[in-house]
Amino acid sequence: MRRAWLIVILLAALTASAAVAVELPKGMMALTARPAPPLRLADMDGRVTDLSTLRGRWVLVHFWASWCGPCRREMPTLASMYARTGLTTVLVNTAESDEEVFAFMSVAAPNMESLMDRDGLVTEAWQPRGLPASFLVDPAGQLRYLALGGRDWESAAYLAFLAAVSRGGAAPAAAAENPR
Amino acid sequence: MRVAVILTILLCILVAEVSGAAAPADQAPATAARLRLTQDGLKISVSTRTPEQVIAFYSARGFAESAVAELAAACMVTVGIRNQRDQVVWLEPASWRLLAADGRTLRRLDRAYWKARWEQLGIPTANRSTFGWTQLPEQRDLRFDEPVGGNLMLARPGQPFDIEARFLLGAARDEGEIVVRIADLQCPDRAVQAAGEPES
Repeated sequence: MRRAWLIVILLAALTASAAVAVELPKGMMALTARPAPPLRLADMDGRVTDLSTLRGRWVLVHFWASWCGPCRREMPTLASMYARTGLTTVLVNTAESDEEVFAFMSVAAPNMESLMDRDGLVTEAWQPRGLPASFLVDPAGQLRYLALGGRDWESAAYLAFLAAVSRGGAAPAAAAENPR
Repeated sequence: MRVAVILTILLCILVAEVSGAAAPADQAPATAARLRLTQDGLKISVSTRTPEQVIAFYSARGFAESAVAELAAACMVTVGIRNQRDQVVWLEPASWRLLAADGRTLRRLDRAYWKARWEQLGIPTANRSTFGWTQLPEQRDLRFDEPVGGNLMLARPGQPFDIEARFLLGAARDEGEIVVRIADLQCPDRAVQAAGEPES
């Protein structure tokens, strides 16, 4: 009888760990919730976006540069995800010129605009772990998740995760910033 | 009984996957343009850059000639690492050793060195930012499947050299250490002198 219970507990644990894996896709790290740093930048046409005005919805804030190989591979998947989900997505180019950004974006993500962090100081303030970096900011303006490096945003795992997040079913913060 | 056996096998597989058992380095010849190796759950790639590559990259990003010349005079090694262990792996290049073939320890040109140089040369903030993001971080607690990449700079050694990279393990750095030796690297000299450039 005791053995049967042990097996049931083991199976439950295995099932639970599988569920967590589905909710928090590979390469996505839960953060200890904290206010997102200020972000107020203009795009190439001078249109200003202020993150604080986007409260009430989930926002993906993505830092990138065209010289960065993983950024180049990731951007089309972000564009595809954006087209499919409509998730509010704020792209921030780090310290490049209009020419470099235009040349890249017109090919990689023609349906999106990027803000220009011309001196790179906003990027520094956000302290990404490298480029590219994608932060998910919750409707209260708190940093909640960070994608580690370039990820495939149109993959089933990432789309399912974003759908769960936008439904309010945030993934558990168990696998948070302090893993073993 | 069968269920118990299946569960035991499943658990063994899980344990084997997360234990990150040591594997011998699968190292390509060091003379290759890009060296790739996998050791102890770390996937590592290393490339030494030619001065032409350095000049092309930073000139295209609007760096001043003085900055580009400074960078091209150094030895630039591009390093990529992906942590495939189920534990934190600490990237701390300050603990790495750069060893010349004659036994000398080579000096790494770290961020503090470049910060001082850029201040002396009056390099704009945007260029400093770009340069910073192209460098290997000074410290990173790499999570499972986290990639990191960037350049490691050293004074041009004029001879082959090894990198002895040390990685502490575990969030508290108390779960052991991995040492990876990347041997017989060479920093290529400038292949062709630019037009109008003096002979010496």
